[in-house]
Amino acid sequence: MYRFRFIFRKIEIKYIRNASSAVEGNVSCTNTSTELVDNQQNALTKADTSKRIDLTAISKILRPGAVSSMYVNKSDILQQLLKLGVELYKLEKDPEGMKFILTLKFEDIKDTIIFLKELGVETQQIGYIITKNPLLLKESLDDLKVRINYLQYKKFTPEMITRIIENNPVWLTHSTKEIDDRLGFFQKTFSLTANNVRALATQCPRLITYQMDKVKLNLFVLKEEMGFNDVEIKKILLNKPNLFKNSQVRLLKTFEYLHNTMKIPLETIVREPEVLSCREKRLKERHSFLAKLGRDQYDPKQPNYVALTTLIKEDDVVFSTEVAKSSVQTFNNFLKSI
Amino acid sequence: MPHDSLLLWKALQGIICVYKPAEISVKSLRKKLITKLCKDLSELDVKLRHPNPKLTALPVSSDPHTNSIVETESSENALEDISSSAISSGISHIDLRYHPLVVGPRYLDEDLTVSWSNFLGWNTSGVLLFGLRSGTQYAKFIRENRSTRAYRVTGSFGKATDNGFKTGKVVEKSTWKYINQNHIQQILSAMQASHQKKVFEISGVDIHSQTAYELAAKGPIRPVNSEVPIIYNLKCLDYEGPGFTIEVQCINENENYLTTLIHDIGIRLHSTAHTTAIKCIRHSCFTLEHALLPKHWNLQNITKNMDMCSKLLRDNESVINQTSAVLN
Repeated sequence: MYRFRFIFRKIEIKYIRNASSAVEGNVSCTNTSTELVDNQQNALTKADTSKRIDLTAISKILRPGAVSSMYVNKSDILQQLLKLGVELYKLEKDPEGMKFILTLKFEDIKDTIIFLKELGVETQQIGYIITKNPLLLKESLDDLKVRINYLQYKKFTPEMITRIIENNPVWLTHSTKEIDDRLGFFQKTFSLTANNVRALATQCPRLITYQMDKVKLNLFVLKEEMGFNDVEIKKILLNKPNLFKNSQVRLLKTFEYLHNTMKIPLETIVREPEVLSCREKRLKERHSFLAKLGRDQYDPKQPNYVALTTLIKEDDVVFSTEVAKSSVQTFNNFLKSI
Repeated sequence: MPHDSLLLWKALQGIICVYKPAEISVKSLRKKLITKLCKDLSELDVKLRHPNPKLTALPVSSDPHTNSIVETESSENALEDISSSAISSGISHIDLRYHPLVVGPRYLDEDLTVSWSNFLGWNTSGVLLFGLRSGTQYAKFIRENRSTRAYRVTGSFGKATDNGFKTGKVVEKSTWKYINQNHIQQILSAMQASHQKKVFEISGVDIHSQTAYELAAKGPIRPVNSEVPIIYNLKCLDYEGPGFTIEVQCINENENYLTTLIHDIGIRLHSTAHTTAIKCIRHSCFTLEHALLPKHWNLQNITKNMDMCSKLLRDNESVINQTSAVLN
C-alpha cells in the first residue's frame, strides 16, 4: 500500500506543480482527473474499466487540495462554502465528509447557516466551524434548535451560547442527553454550583465534549499523585480548565519540576494554576537561568520576588531583560550551554 | 521575473548547522524543522500570490481555450453581504482552483527532504548538521568521511546508575573524597595513549613498514573503518566536589560510548561515576557559535545559516572531500 501511496504522491505532485505554475495553468480539470484515474487503475489493476471513479474515495492518498481543486469550479456548494471561508483542503481529510458535502445543494444548508448567523456567530467563525466539523451540516435544523433550547433552558445567556458554539465546533453535533450527562458529570465530580458549571462551559467549551477518560485520568493525577484536595482541584478547574485537556504525563513532569526542584508549595500552584500548563523544558530553561544569576526567589514575602506567571508568560526578550535583568544575548548563550 | 516562493524553495538546499537541546530526539527535531520551514514557505507563497488579503482569488490567465472559467453568479441569498465581497463583485472570471483555501499549503512536509550528518542521542545536546534537499548528499559525504568531533562531558563521582546516566536507577555507591584533579588527568592521559597505539594496530598498515612511518610522521591518523571509536585527546577541564568535566576529541563515538567512558574513569579511580550531561561542542569545522537555536528557526535565519555553512565548507574542503588518512 505504501508503494502505491508513493506513486500517487509523485503523480499528484507533478500535476499540482503543472497546474499551479499559473502561466500554463490551462491543464484542464477534466484532463488531470482522467489521467489520474488512469494511473490509479494501472496501479491497482482494477477490473472496473469505466473512467468515472469517485475521487473522494482516494482523497486520503492524494495531495491535500487535489479533490477540491478538481471539483470547485463545477460545484456550486463548494463555491458557496468557499465564500464562508471554509478550508476545503481540510475537509478532504475525511473522505466520507467530502462525499457527503458534494452531494449537498446550497439550499439544504442555507437554513443551518442562517440559524448559526442568527445566534450571533461571526461569518469567519461559521467557516471555521464547518471546516472543523463538516458533519454539522448533516444535523437537522430541528435538532439544532432543540440543542440551543436546552442551553437556554439551563439559563445560558445568548453571549454564552455564541461563545460556546464559536469555540467548540462539535458541541452542536452532540445530543441534548449527551451534553446533559457531561455537564452533570462535571457538576457532580467537582461539586460545582450551577453558576460554576455555566462559567466552566463558557470558559472552556471544548472540555465538556472532551474524552471523559482523559479528564478522569487528570483528576486522578491531580488528586492522588500531586496531592491536591477537592477544594483546591475545584479552584484549579474553574481557574484553568484547559489543564484537564493536557496529557497526564506532561502535567506530572511539570509538577515534579515545580515542586521538587523549584520548591514551590502546593498553595502557590493553586493560586497560579497556569504554571502547570507550562512545559517542563521551558520551566527548566528559565529557572536554571535565574538560578545561575541568583534570582530564583519565588517567595512573595521576601525581596526580589519573581512571580510565577511572569516567569512563564513573557517571551524570551521580556523575560531576559525584565525578569532576569540580563540581556537576550546572555540568555541565548546560556541556552547553548545547557 | 515574478516574485514567487519557488525561487526561495529552489535556493533552499544545502547544509545547516543547528543546536540540539538535550532530551529531544534528532528525529523529532528534524520533523519540527520541516514543519516550520514548510509552514513559513506556504505562508510566504500565499502572501506573494495574493498580496491583497481581501482579494484572495486569482484571476484566470487570459487563455480562450480554458474551459474551466466559472462565472460566479451574484447569489441572492442572505449571505451575499457577509461573504467575502471580492469573489462576487470584483472579478467575474475566476479560477477557483488556485484559491489558497482550496489547494491548501503549497509545500507539504513530505516535499522537503532532510537528513542529518551526525547522530546525537537523546541525552546529548550540541552541534547538529542537517542537509536540506540536495544538501542531503553533502550530509551523506560528511557522515561517511567520519570527521572528528569534540564533546564536553560532565560526570559525577560516587554513584553508578544502571544506564550510566543521571536519569537511571542508582545501583552502586562509593567514596570519592580522595580523588583530585591530578588523578583524573593521569588516568585520562593513559587512556589517550592506549587509543593512539590502537589506531595504528587497526589502521591496516604493518607497524614496521615504511608506510606506517610516513603516516606517523604526518601526525594522528584515522581508523580504517567506522566501527571503532578512537579518542585523540582527553582533558579534564575542571573538578569540584563530585562533579567533573572532561573534553573529548574523538571519532566514531556515540552517546553510549561516552557514558561508558565516564563509567570506566570512575572504576579506574577506584570509585564509581555516572554521566550528567553530554554536549557536542564541535563537529569538524562547525562549532557552537554557528549553531542555530530551535527558537530562532525561520526562513530568514535558516537561509543565512545555510550561506554561512556553505562558506565554511568551501574553506574546509576536506570535510566533504577527504584525500588522506591523516587527521586534519
